[in-house]
Amino acid sequence: MVAAVAVLAVAVVAALVVALAAPSTALRFTVRPAPMLLVAGVVLAAVVLVAGAAAARRRSRADAEVRHAQAAGCRAERDARRRFLARLDHELKNPVTAIRAAVAAGADGGDDAGRARATLVSQSTRLAALVTDLRKLAELETQEIEDEDVDMAEVVRDAVEDVTAQAVAAGGPRPDVVVTLPTVPWPLPHVRGDVDLLYLAVYNLLGNAVKFSPPGTRIEVRGTDEDGTVVVEVADSGPGIPPDEVDVVFDELARGRDARGLPGSGLGLALVRVIAARHGGRATLRSRPAQGTSVRLHLPTRRPPR
Amino acid sequence: MGDPVTAPPPHVLLVDDEPAILDGLVPFFERSGLRVSTAPDGEAALDAHARTPSDILVCDVLMPRLDGRALVRRLRAGGDWTPVVLLTQVGESYERSAALEEGADDYLNKPFDPQELLARVRAVLRRAVPGQPALAASDVLVCGDLRVDRSARRVTLGGAAVALTPKASLLLDYLMTHPGELHTRERLLAALWGFESMVTTRAVDHRVAEIRRVLRDDVAAPRFVETVPAQGYRFCGDVRRGSRT
Repeated sequence: MVAAVAVLAVAVVAALVVALAAPSTALRFTVRPAPMLLVAGVVLAAVVLVAGAAAARRRSRADAEVRHAQAAGCRAERDARRRFLARLDHELKNPVTAIRAAVAAGADGGDDAGRARATLVSQSTRLAALVTDLRKLAELETQEIEDEDVDMAEVVRDAVEDVTAQAVAAGGPRPDVVVTLPTVPWPLPHVRGDVDLLYLAVYNLLGNAVKFSPPGTRIEVRGTDEDGTVVVEVADSGPGIPPDEVDVVFDELARGRDARGLPGSGLGLALVRVIAARHGGRATLRSRPAQGTSVRLHLPTRRPPR
Repeated sequence: MGDPVTAPPPHVLLVDDEPAILDGLVPFFERSGLRVSTAPDGEAALDAHARTPSDILVCDVLMPRLDGRALVRRLRAGGDWTPVVLLTQVGESYERSAALEEGADDYLNKPFDPQELLARVRAVLRRAVPGQPALAASDVLVCGDLRVDRSARRVTLGGAAVALTPKASLLLDYLMTHPGELHTRERLLAALWGFESMVTTRAVDHRVAEIRRVLRDDVAAPRFVETVPAQGYRFCGDVRRGSRT
């Protein structure tokens, strides 16, 4: 009996060693059925133990990963909030300082009063626009949006027409915008959504491209569709965005270092991001300093209504 | 018909819980020829209005005790049709019936330009017939063969139902309840869409085009929506209250 157990133990160890060393090797033992059952039982127990330990390890690793992801999410949220507050502070302190300076300058009446009044008007208008735009952005995150059939090709043509007309009306040169929309094998599929918001998104992208492009350089607008997604891309050969700013350009109130000299609310791309998200899509940006920037609006197509 | 020289100036009740806003608006309105009283919340406004009836109320929405929307409901429930301008956006909830259910006569978003508020107040006063519900409080609006059943959200032209997008419906509703008034595109965009500076006014033109197409309105000889060149739009038809049949 002792010998049998010893043999069995050796056989089990040998089997495990062989199995672990070469799992695909077929083992042939010429032992009787009873020890065979014992071997099977021991192997099974070992497998259950090993598998159980592995599962526990996996579970704890998965738990750790979830915790890690949650922590990273919280950190990202905290970072975004901190960036937003810093930018809000920046956007508010200049007009408020200007208003206080104007009040001080205009307090005695006299020659400065007229200029002080003009400052009060312009800076309070600036603050009013900021408040309105921030509220609109917050509303857009949650408010119900329309669900109509929208032809993005038409939206692109309208936005190009408007941005071009506005640039000319503002006394600038006519922007060189080249629009490429497919006609074969089929035109750009329609999407479902709110035509006003989608127009606003494309208009903002084009407005940025015109604003940041040196006069006379080309802006390209391309429409494509692939795997149920319509992509509208607006590309420019402007100064581009520094690599460390690319990740935060879609943040509220984000203003690039190189954009500070130019007028803008810093809410345009945030708006584009929210509009894309509300349509089940997303906005992406690629940029190379001194080469230019391309922003893509990805929108899922859904079957148009009959 | 009062003599324009001796007619007393219209009496405005400004209702807002922010004293700084009242401090600025009161002298501005008085200089503009209006008589002004103030109240810090809806309850106080109801009391003040009961003591000395005002010709129009300008109300903030978020206020302690009784908010602006509840104040309008209380007035209307008591059969008081004194015009009210609410300091918010039309149909904020995106529901076409919101404007009707509130029963306010006009809307203006904070922060607003005081000149714009004065213009709204004057337009509402011009349109108001004392003691009578305004078009904004009607269930049904009729203009020729156009009929808008506001609570049923149904528009018919010559008896046949027509389909408008929610935004176009809201715009048509707003234009019809303020007939004969010139609305700039910017004003319509701010009041109905809630946008000020981030967008062009093409959205407004799009919806006007939709209304015209659906209602078969001729741009050259409009029966409903008229373009005022370089200025904006005006509902040019004669709008009257209809009844639900």
